[in-house]
Amino acid sequence: MKEFAGKTGQSIFFILSGVARLWNLGSAVVGYTLSSFFKRKVIPREVLFRQMVLIGIDSTAIVSLVGASVGTVLALQAAYSLKTFGALMYTGSLVCVAMARELGPLIAAIVISGRIGARMAAEIGTMMVQEEVDALITMGINPIRYLVAPRVLALALMLPCLTVIVDIVGMIGGWAIGTTGLGINSSLYIAKSIEALCLKDIYTGLLKSFIFSILIALVSCHQGLSVSGGADAVGKATTQAVVISIVLIIVVDCLATAVIYYALPT
Amino acid sequence: MSESEPCVIEVRNLIKRFGDLTVLNGINVEIPRGQITVIMGGSGCGKTTFLRHLIALHQPTSGEILVDGANIVGLSEKEMNNVRRKFGMLFQGSALFNSMTVGENVAVPLKEHTDLSPEIIRIIVRVKLELVGLTGFEDFMPHQISGGMKKRVALARAIALDPKIVFYDEPGAGLDPITASMIDRLILDLSKKLNITSVVVSHEMKSAFRIADQIIVLHKGKVLQVGTADEIKNSKDSYVQQFIHGESEGVIPFKQTSEAYLKGLLST
Repeated sequence: MKEFAGKTGQSIFFILSGVARLWNLGSAVVGYTLSSFFKRKVIPREVLFRQMVLIGIDSTAIVSLVGASVGTVLALQAAYSLKTFGALMYTGSLVCVAMARELGPLIAAIVISGRIGARMAAEIGTMMVQEEVDALITMGINPIRYLVAPRVLALALMLPCLTVIVDIVGMIGGWAIGTTGLGINSSLYIAKSIEALCLKDIYTGLLKSFIFSILIALVSCHQGLSVSGGADAVGKATTQAVVISIVLIIVVDCLATAVIYYALPT
Repeated sequence: MSESEPCVIEVRNLIKRFGDLTVLNGINVEIPRGQITVIMGGSGCGKTTFLRHLIALHQPTSGEILVDGANIVGLSEKEMNNVRRKFGMLFQGSALFNSMTVGENVAVPLKEHTDLSPEIIRIIVRVKLELVGLTGFEDFMPHQISGGMKKRVALARAIALDPKIVFYDEPGAGLDPITASMIDRLILDLSKKLNITSVVVSHEMKSAFRIADQIIVLHKGKVLQVGTADEIKNSKDSYVQQFIHGESEGVIPFKQTSEAYLKGLLST
């Protein structure tokens, strides 16, 4: 019993201290971002643009592929149930609303946490091991300002964009399978989709993806910065970054959905 | 604060403990201006830890470190960054940024700390690379050049902002004897031509005797001896003699049990 209580206390302490460290890192990044509006050279532009290209443009293909597949699968699975009610023509509305509200932000965030989060943690972790971060400090350059802030900002700008792409590609995937495989009339499919979709579905989805982007970037950079030792520490940090990011994304998604659609007035 | 003081760095009673382990145990040294000081000692004697205190990557448990007469212990990040403008540091593994070219690496401190135009920065980068003998290597990536060249690029980056003091952590480590002696020559050249104070951490005797104006021997977290190269060579201390001649048997025994090793560490 004593041991159990001790372990529980330890885990709670571990989680809370992790949250506190993330909060500190996040507030430092917010501070630098705000001051970059008034001062030049707070956030290094080359790093920011390099990261934006890496996250945005280089991830478009894979994110689209996953988005299209999810849209297609969703249409096929939905049709199976809807058919029993004779409501096959509502497949389009279901796919569009589900993509915009939930699956677009979630799928984009999960793919990016695997692709970009892991990369950030490994890159910063290796920089820690090879004394590159120490080199920055001795040059009088704050590593949070130089390494973390541009990465968080780049992801916060690019993940909502990728989410829009996933939304659209997923809807097109659903439409393609709906009109060919399921035999729904194309104009009916589109009309039903537009009828079902409202603006709130889209902007709440984008808001969620913005929150996810901050989570992924902060968790990954934090994991990278806490590396000490050698190659195995980098490996551990990389795995941790992806696992923690995905768990946090899903938990926060749960909370955000509950708050946005049920707690707030519609 | 004055620039004319003979000592640029003065360390007073520096103590560093990691938990129960005392790594630095009351170090008092003075580093003279414009000269090359070599900090020597066996592996694990605390010399790298000592160096990291001088550039405030570690904070001491107690003691003072005076740079140009001002204590740098406990300074805020902003105040420390002002002091760091006087410093350049060459890390053991070069610590070049792998995602940037050689030229971009040297340009990082210039871009961050000055308002110079990109054209001027390009010229300064070329000049600094020329000083270390790497003209025309601006567009190479760090993984395309050899270990010795990386060290030289790192040195060019360290002197980009014309620091007054340059710290070298094991500059010859992992290099062949010829390349290592080239690095030594660079250290000598830079210190004489640019009147830079150099602090070199090394355990390579040959290189230390070649470049040092002053040698500080550390042992078990304490200063064992301070002197010129000749004074150290003729030292009566049996540890110093064992160290200079690189003998495996002597005051430091070849075979050690883990208990004896721990006891040795903790007894300091």
